[in-house]
Amino acid sequence: MKRPAHVVMRRILLPLVGVGCVLGFWQATLSWYRLPPIVLPSPWAVATTLAELVRTVAFWRDVGVSLFEFVCGYLIGVVLGVGLGLLMGEWRHFRMAATPVVESLRFVVPFAWIPLTILWFGTSYVGKILLVAYAVFFVMVVSTTRAVAQVEPTLSRVGTMLGMNPWRLAWQVHLRAAAPTLASAARAAAAIGWIAVVAAEYIGASAGLGLMITNAATSLTTSVVIGGMIVIGIVGAGVSAAIGALSRASLDYR
Amino acid sequence: MATTQERIANSPEERLPPRVVAWLFGVAGSAVALFAWTVLSRLLAHGGGVINRLPGPLAVVRELVQYAGKDLAHDLLASLHVFAIGWIVGAASAALLGLVLGRAKHLGNVFLPIVEAMRPVSSIAWVPLSIVWFGFGLTSKVFLVGLAVFLVVIVYAVDGSRRVPHDLERTATMLGMNGWQRFRSVVLPGTLSEVLIGSRVALMSGWGTVIVAELVAADSGLGAHLIGVEQSYDVPAVMATMICFAVTGFAMNAAFTFAERRLLPWRHDRERQDR
Repeated sequence: MKRPAHVVMRRILLPLVGVGCVLGFWQATLSWYRLPPIVLPSPWAVATTLAELVRTVAFWRDVGVSLFEFVCGYLIGVVLGVGLGLLMGEWRHFRMAATPVVESLRFVVPFAWIPLTILWFGTSYVGKILLVAYAVFFVMVVSTTRAVAQVEPTLSRVGTMLGMNPWRLAWQVHLRAAAPTLASAARAAAAIGWIAVVAAEYIGASAGLGLMITNAATSLTTSVVIGGMIVIGIVGAGVSAAIGALSRASLDYR
Repeated sequence: MATTQERIANSPEERLPPRVVAWLFGVAGSAVALFAWTVLSRLLAHGGGVINRLPGPLAVVRELVQYAGKDLAHDLLASLHVFAIGWIVGAASAALLGLVLGRAKHLGNVFLPIVEAMRPVSSIAWVPLSIVWFGFGLTSKVFLVGLAVFLVVIVYAVDGSRRVPHDLERTATMLGMNGWQRFRSVVLPGTLSEVLIGSRVALMSGWGTVIVAELVAADSGLGAHLIGVEQSYDVPAVMATMICFAVTGFAMNAAFTFAERRLLPWRHDRERQDR
């Protein structure tokens, strides 16, 4: 596929100019004010630090721990959230009863739970996994409930006419009709869950990316802090892209 | 014959307005949840293991009342102070930059990818760096909240400045408006209404950032109190503080949704679906 020149220009060249401007501004600021590397290391120093980090075992252990906590919590949160959301979407009376509870818990943002999870579960994985599950759960419950309740009524009537019982109707018709909405909610939930892991690791953890950058900040190795932030961003974007690709692949029947 | 008719007429659904039915079910659901919480706390009170420290709702309420009588107002004001400054700074700079990058096409092509690349690095990931740069004081927290709000609002600002309908712009030109007039009376209002919506969406991410920043820095505000009671293993007080956070977030969100409905009634329906 050959792209026209102006698309290449707009998609690749101009953003590169932008990146160049930012890096130039970064380098210029620190040479102009003679900032010590503790305050702001040069872009080059960050790049070499990252290259060194990638070669250490401890770094990959931190990434692995954070990802493990995220993936476990995410799966639990999505399954339970879609399950409860489906129940709330299908069963009107249950929805009326559960809405105030869900809505009030939704405003207890996951970050506010961090101290309590530390009290209950210490610095173990369990607390973080539950925290991610909590964060993801509420995103999925709210969007599943809405998506299932808004499914085209004709579809339900067709299903009933074809002799489906309510369970089959919910599972095979409503959930599938709601799938595109759920896929985008799942991506949004992934971003929130990933950040919840990092935040939880700031406050109480024995390993993980969040711990890595707070430790680096305490020992004033700022290049590791910035390198770690870049890794957090890359992993977050990667997770989101992976979930996007997965949902596109599984929604292919449309 | 009358039996089915009567049964329908006598079922509570038919006699009561739907709002009341929803309300009754809601109260029942909340009562069940509170009851389950109480039972769980009773069951766990004598058990071993890690979760044996679950206080009942009453203990939490007692703690909440006690806290309200002492430092709550002071801590809450400290948190809201940080939040308000950061939120205003973040939203204003995002509106300005979004307008520039959205309207000036080439600048947008150059710098918007950078903004996009920064968005996955949530403001939470900036916490340690911000502490290195600005220390534990007000500045670092304002920076973090401002960043969180900025990263949300900029999307709405760029979107709003670009989504001005073309025929509206052409009509404005036809009516003899010059560039500045067109900007002031067509582009600017469109952008600002989007910015307003973005600022409401950013409320929760900004408030969440306040929580994390205060938990990490732990020098003032509700977050510092939360860390304090956590370190003294005071679970009821921890839960009471969590409720304070939730109620504040809820109140801000409700106030803003109300204001938005008054200011931008035409956007309300679409926004509900977007959310």
